[in-house]
Amino acid sequence: MSLVELRSIVKRFGEHEVLRSVDLTVSKGEIIAVIGRSGSGKSTLLRCINGLESIQGGELFVDGIPVHDPSADLRKLRARVGFVFQSYNLFPHLTVERNITLGPTIVKGVSQADAVALARDALRRVGLEEKLHAYPDQLSGGQQQRVAIARSLAMSPMLMLFDEITSALDPELVGEVLRVLENMARDGMTMLLVTHEMNFARRVADRVLFIHQGTIWEQGRAATLFESPTTEELRSFLGAVLI
Amino acid sequence: MIRDLSWIDPLYLLFALRWTVLLTLLALLGGAPVGLLVAALGRMTKRPARLASRGYIGLVQGIPLLAWLFLFFFGFPIFGIDVPAWLAATCAFSVYSGAFLGEIWLGALLSIPRTQWEASASIGMSYIEQLRYVIIPQALRIAMPPSVGFIMQLIKNTSLAAVIGFVEVTREGQMTAAATLAPLTVYLMVGAFYFALCYPLTTYSRHLERRLHVAR
Repeated sequence: MSLVELRSIVKRFGEHEVLRSVDLTVSKGEIIAVIGRSGSGKSTLLRCINGLESIQGGELFVDGIPVHDPSADLRKLRARVGFVFQSYNLFPHLTVERNITLGPTIVKGVSQADAVALARDALRRVGLEEKLHAYPDQLSGGQQQRVAIARSLAMSPMLMLFDEITSALDPELVGEVLRVLENMARDGMTMLLVTHEMNFARRVADRVLFIHQGTIWEQGRAATLFESPTTEELRSFLGAVLI
Repeated sequence: MIRDLSWIDPLYLLFALRWTVLLTLLALLGGAPVGLLVAALGRMTKRPARLASRGYIGLVQGIPLLAWLFLFFFGFPIFGIDVPAWLAATCAFSVYSGAFLGEIWLGALLSIPRTQWEASASIGMSYIEQLRYVIIPQALRIAMPPSVGFIMQLIKNTSLAAVIGFVEVTREGQMTAAATLAPLTVYLMVGAFYFALCYPLTTYSRHLERRLHVAR
């Protein structure tokens, strides 16, 4: 049974067609890396999956929820799908603890005490237990991003979406975030990640999607795709990123 | 009839200051709901709502406060409704504060980045929950210093209500000055009373700004 299913979805911003008839099936436990040039539609694809962007055509199911349906319960969907942003987007007025417990207590009705336990557990998984009472502006970019991951983890998601989560980080901070992702991969989390970290994609992803001009131009196992791209577009893209 | 300035005059002024304070409070009481409405309409997705909000702010700010006072004081009787000066003043000042507070609050709401909405939506919060736990707490911090600043303006501007015969501290001062022929002393006292009201607010506003500047 597939966890995510996209059937020829179309996304337009006004006249501009960002996604044109994308089909995709993601199975439980699968790890998919999404690569492509900026403006190719890869982030938009991710944002459609948790309903941050509405789609103009096609069907989109996440764990049976019809996301394309305007009357779909997006709250229910988002409570089960974690999303991590490039710019962390922590709540600056709240402590790390409150950033993480907000979702479980407000959305899922977990008691404050249980939510704090969840927060501690999530922070332990990203290696930041000691930062429970810090404010976001007291943390480095890498730490903020790990808290953002913990905030999603505390909701016990069945799917995690990562939108270029290391792109805003200083190079020396990228490793700590990728290590967290690798641990999650080992724990069997289903993940879709838009990334520019090709080595990471090769190491961790089960499948790589190359998005070009709003479609899945080419896809396959990382090793196969990187060593022998079949299209000229992927070849030139790889040539540009794999110096 | 000319009389000497006596120790009782500052007391009269102090009593009149009550009306200055009361008018300010009434204006805030009437203006705050208007301001909330203006801010709420201003960030709706429907264009007519945004236009109504912008239009209200533009209209009120484009007409002098003095004109609003006259409009309410002389306007109501045309429709056969006689209003006391305090009521006309309260209406005019509510309309006026509604526009300015609305603009401040709308600006604060709009200054919260879209990403904060997206992040809170992504953990499954409803619109109301997003406002309550994420957006408004941050917007309040931004809106606080300019709101306090506006309240100070309001306190001083209530003196305009004197022109429609509302006896607050400026009008009381005018009458005392006329009776005693000691305008300098009297208006110095009037000024001192305004200062005594506004200065603590300035300090408080600065304190807020400093505290909020340390982020969060």
